[in-house]
Amino acid sequence: MMESINCLQCQEWLIPFIDNQIEDSATFNEIAFHLQDCADCRNQLEIERRTIDVVRALLVRTCCETAPTTLQERIAHQLHLIQLQQMAGFSQTEIITQYRRTEITIDGQTQIEIETSHEIRRDFPLD
Amino acid sequence: MAKKEERRELSKDSNSGAGELVRVDREKESAAQRAKRFEQDALQYMNQLYAAALRYTRNPDDAQDLVQDTYAKAYTSFHQFEPGTNLKAWLYRVLTTTFINTYRKDQRRPQTSDNEAEDWQLAEAASHTSDQGKSAEDVALENLPDSDIKRALLEIPEEFRIAVYLADVEGFSYKEVAEIVGVPTGTVMSRLHRGRKQLREKLTEYARELGYVKGGS
Repeated sequence: MMESINCLQCQEWLIPFIDNQIEDSATFNEIAFHLQDCADCRNQLEIERRTIDVVRALLVRTCCETAPTTLQERIAHQLHLIQLQQMAGFSQTEIITQYRRTEITIDGQTQIEIETSHEIRRDFPLD
Repeated sequence: MAKKEERRELSKDSNSGAGELVRVDREKESAAQRAKRFEQDALQYMNQLYAAALRYTRNPDDAQDLVQDTYAKAYTSFHQFEPGTNLKAWLYRVLTTTFINTYRKDQRRPQTSDNEAEDWQLAEAASHTSDQGKSAEDVALENLPDSDIKRALLEIPEEFRIAVYLADVEGFSYKEVAEIVGVPTGTVMSRLHRGRKQLREKLTEYARELGYVKGGS
């Protein structure tokens, strides 16, 4: 048989109890039992609950702005840009090969330098 | 591309993150598919995020910037989001971290004390006060115009405001709020409690100024 909690302990848990945020079922039960027996704490519970409910209802009523259409457009546009950048990032090709060779005639009189470079670049325009 | 916005539904049980029963294989998903999934799943929270951003930043311009940044960040890290978990909470975390890291950087203010939890418990124990005429006051509060409620919310400290908003307007659990804000659950509890209390006091004060409630403080 567990020791039942006193008023002070009950008070500590009152708010989480009202918010239905007590995960430990033993604690929850102890509080529920205590509340059954204790009119003072029950009274306190009702006061707290009403306070919370009133404020919450006011907040929910008030805080429900709609995002301006300009914001929706800005976001759509930005996501589009990021998407393009990402695609460009994935498919961007940049292949550069460079080599140089020197050819010398047999008699050693003439030599030429041949420099070759291949460059393949591909890019997507961002806008 | 602008998606039609769904009217926000009252959030008490809509934050379970369920509803995405389709299995998504993030490995095989193409960038285009992911983009589509993002648009389908994430954009619907724009109104809610905007309303929250208004509370965070306290002005419409910054709020818009914040929401835009949030979506940009969320979009680029969407591959890290685990499908089937709570997308709304995830977006709120992006919003909140972005706000804390970017918008609040230069206006650093002292944070509330470390022993918030103890404070809260003391406050709780001490508040065994008698109360009469409550319901008349409730009615008076309900008659307050929206502008007063917004004002009260803006006047309480930021940490409290965010906790109250996330828990009471968005219906997140203590644990979810803790994850979104990045503080322990005990801290959330204390901020929430104190925030509600201060709000209530401010609202009562306004009601009194308007003559809805009798008596001085």
